[in-house]
Amino acid sequence: MSTTETAAPRRIDWLGFLSRYGTIISLVVLIVIFSLGRPEVFPSVRNMFNILNQISILGIIALGLTVCLVVGLFDLSIGAMATFGGYFAARFLMEMDSDSVWAVAFVILSVLALAMLIGMINGALTSYLGISPIVETLAMSFIVTGVILGVSGGRTVNSSDIPMAFQVIGQGRIWGIPAPVLILIGTVFVLWLFLEHTQWGRNMYAIGGNREAARLSGISFQKYALIAMAIGAGCAALGGLVAGANLGVGRPQGVGETYLLNAFVAVFIGASTLKPGRFHVLGTAVGVLLIGVINNGLSTMGVATFWQYIVQGTILILALISASVNSVRRA
Amino acid sequence: MEPARVNAISMQATTETAPVLEVRGMRKEFPGTLALDDVTLTVARGEIHALLGENGAGKSTLIKCICGAYAPTAGEVAVEGRLVSFSTPKGASDAGIAVVHQHYNLVPNITVAENLWLGETLPRRFGLIDWRRVHERARAVLDRLGIAVSTRAEISSLRPDEAAMISIAKAVSSDARIIILDEPTNALLPHEVERLFSRMRALAEQGHSFLYVSHRLAEVFEIADTATVLRDGRNAGTFTRRDMDRRAVVEAIVGRKDALAGRRSSSSARSETLMQVTNLTGVRARDVSFDLRAGEILGIAGLPGSGADEVMDLLFARNRRQAGRIAIDGREVALRDPAAAIRAGLALVPQDRLAEAVFHAESIRANISMPSLKRYLRDPFLRFINRGAEARAAGEVAGRMRVRMPGIETHIDALSGGNQQKVVLGRWLSTGARIFLLNSPTAAVDVGAKAEIYNLIHELAADGVGILFASTELDEYPLVCDRVLVFSGGRVVGALAGERLTGGNIMTLAAGGKLGDEHN
Repeated sequence: MSTTETAAPRRIDWLGFLSRYGTIISLVVLIVIFSLGRPEVFPSVRNMFNILNQISILGIIALGLTVCLVVGLFDLSIGAMATFGGYFAARFLMEMDSDSVWAVAFVILSVLALAMLIGMINGALTSYLGISPIVETLAMSFIVTGVILGVSGGRTVNSSDIPMAFQVIGQGRIWGIPAPVLILIGTVFVLWLFLEHTQWGRNMYAIGGNREAARLSGISFQKYALIAMAIGAGCAALGGLVAGANLGVGRPQGVGETYLLNAFVAVFIGASTLKPGRFHVLGTAVGVLLIGVINNGLSTMGVATFWQYIVQGTILILALISASVNSVRRA
Repeated sequence: MEPARVNAISMQATTETAPVLEVRGMRKEFPGTLALDDVTLTVARGEIHALLGENGAGKSTLIKCICGAYAPTAGEVAVEGRLVSFSTPKGASDAGIAVVHQHYNLVPNITVAENLWLGETLPRRFGLIDWRRVHERARAVLDRLGIAVSTRAEISSLRPDEAAMISIAKAVSSDARIIILDEPTNALLPHEVERLFSRMRALAEQGHSFLYVSHRLAEVFEIADTATVLRDGRNAGTFTRRDMDRRAVVEAIVGRKDALAGRRSSSSARSETLMQVTNLTGVRARDVSFDLRAGEILGIAGLPGSGADEVMDLLFARNRRQAGRIAIDGREVALRDPAAAIRAGLALVPQDRLAEAVFHAESIRANISMPSLKRYLRDPFLRFINRGAEARAAGEVAGRMRVRMPGIETHIDALSGGNQQKVVLGRWLSTGARIFLLNSPTAAVDVGAKAEIYNLIHELAADGVGILFASTELDEYPLVCDRVLVFSGGRVVGALAGERLTGGNIMTLAAGGKLGDEHN
C-alpha cells in the first residue's frame, strides 16, 4: 500500500530542491557577498587559486574519508595518518640524502604503501573482528602518533634536509596552477571514476546501503572494508605529504589534527549536496570548496577567526537538517 | 437493565457490563486505498479475543487506530464503556490499552526489574535509587502472574516466551484494561507457545482481557474464546468458541472463491535431479535430506522454530551448516559463503525484503544488476561498468518481471511492496541462477501482486529452474507448489503432494499430528 504520496506537493518540492541545491546556493551566495565586500581582493583569479591551494590538502584527505564513509566506516585515524605521511616522507628523504627524482618517487610510493597497509589493518580489525570502527581507528591514531613521536624524538626535519624534487610537490606550479591543486583535481577525478563508474565503487555503495543485502548478493564486506580503509589512509598520507612539501618541513606533530574535523565537516556537507543522504566525490568537493571560501572570504573581510567556526558550524547543521528532511521523506 | 439508550456507551456506564473494548464504525483511508471500512470489534472482560486475517487485511491498521498510532478517518473506541481518544501511545496506555509488539517492547540489555519500571519514577532513599524496593515490587508483580524469572536477569538472557510474559506483566502492572498482543508467538518454539498460552488463560480467568492478533490458525483455535476476522478491511465474520469451525473460519479469512480455487494446475517438474541435499543440519534443522528436480517447485513448510525457516539460509551459506552435503547436477559443492552459492547457481529471496534485499536510495537499475554487475564490465581489472549495457539488461528484466515503474532510474523506495519484490526476484535472472530459494516472496505484498508473483514463479519453473518455496501463509503452498516437505522439531515429518497437499494437512503435520488415511 502506498501511503507516502500525501498532499502539499508544492512545499515538499521546495524542501527537496533546498536539500539538493542548498549547499551550492549557499556557496554562490557567499561568493557574491565576499566579492561585493572586498571587490578588489576576493574575486581575483589569484585569490581563487589561493583558495584552491588552501583547500587542496583538506580536499585530498576528505576525498579518502568519503570512500570510507561510503561503506559505512568512520575513520578517525586520518589525522594521524596525514602527520605520518608528511613526517616519514621527509624523514626517509633525509636518511637517503639523495636529490634524485627517482629517490623521491620511491619514498613517496613507499610511504603511501605503508599508510595503505595501516589502513588495511584498520579494515581487517573492524570487519573481520567487528570492532567499532570509531574506537578502533581512534586507537590506531594513538599508536601511529606514538610511533611518529618515538621515531622523531619530537624533532622536525628541516627544510635543508629535504630535496627540492620533493618540495616541488607542495610549492611548484604547472601552467601557473599550483601542484597541490593539480593533485587535488587528480584525486577528485580518480575517486569519482572509482566510486561512480567501476564495480568496486558500486559494490561499496551496496555495502553502505544495506550490508546484509550486499552479502546476499555475493559482495564481501571484509574485502571492501580493507580497500576502503586503505584508500582512506592512503589519501590522508598523501594529503600530509603534500602539506609537508608545501611547508618544506617534516613535522612530527600538529599536522593532521587540523584536517581531521574539517574533513568530516566537508564530507557530511557533501552528503547533502545533489544526492541527499549519499556520500559522493563531487559533494565532498563542494563541501571542501565551501569551507575554503568561508575561511578565505571571512579573513579577506577582516572578520575575526572565531566567526569562521560559527559560520562553518551553522552551515554544517543546515546541511544535516536538509539531509534529514530528505531521509524522513523517504521513510 | 435500565431502558436502552443510544448513547449509553459514552456515559460513565456500569463498568461491570460494558465490554472492555469496543470499536465501532472504524474507517481508515490512505491516499488511494481504503484500509478499514466500518470495522466493529467487541472484547468482553476476561476474554481472549483473536483478530484474524491475511496480510493486508487490515489487522495492523486496526491495532494502530486503536492505540493511537494512526488517526482514524471515522469511528470510535471505547474502553469499559468510556469513549477514548488520543493521538499518542502514552495516551493509549493512560486509557488502559497496552500493546505488546512482536519484539515485546523491552530493552534487552537491562534487567527485568528495570524494564518493569521503565517510564516510571524509581523509588528513592536518601536521594539514591532504592534498588531493594525496585526489585521487591517487580518480584511482587511477577509472583502475582506466576512468573519464575529473576528480577535481576537481563532481558537478553531470557527465553523468548519469558520475555513475552515479562512484556505482558508490564502491561498488567500498568493497570491495562486490555492487552493487545501483536503476533506474540512469532519467535517462540511450540513448547514455549504452550507455556505462554497457559499463563494467558490464567490471567484471563482473573479477569484480564486480551486482543490476540495472529495469522496462525492452530494457535487461535487453541487459545481464543472469540475471533473477529477481517478481510480487505471489512468485518468478515465473528466466531465464538462454540461455532469456531475450522473451515468456516478459513473461508472467512480467505474468502470463498479463493479457498476453493487453490491448487497449482500442472507441474513442470522434469525427471533430472537438479540439487541433492543430504543430512543437512543447522541449529534447528536436523538431518534434512531431499532432492529437487529441474522445473520443480518444492515447498518447505513448518512453524517458526521447526527448522524449516533455516533450510534456505543453510543452503545459501548465510548460516554455517553443522553437517550435510549438497550436490548440484550430481557434483558436490562446498558453498562456503553466499558468493560461492551464487556462483554455484543459487539465488535467495530473503524473508525480510526491506532489511535484507532492497538497496535503499538506489535506482531500480542498480537494484537489479547488483549481483550480476560483472556481466557489464568493460575490462576485468579496473572494472569499469558499461552503463548502457547494464541499463538495457535491467530494463529487460524489469519488463519480464512486469515491474510497474516510471522508469528504470526510479528509486526503488518509490515502488509498492509487490513491485519491489519483483525487482528483488528479477535480479537473479541475470546471474544464471538455476535454483531459486524463495522465502516468503509474497510477504507484505497486496493481493493483486501476489497473483503476479505466483505466475512469475510458475514461469521460472517452466523454464527448468528448481525452486524452494516457503511462506507464512499455509494456504499458499497448494497454490504454488508441486510438493511440500513439512518440518516439525527440526526434521522432515512428511511430504505432501497432489490431493493431500492442503493448508490443513500441512498445519496438522507441522503441529506434530498425524494424517488420517484419506483414501481407503
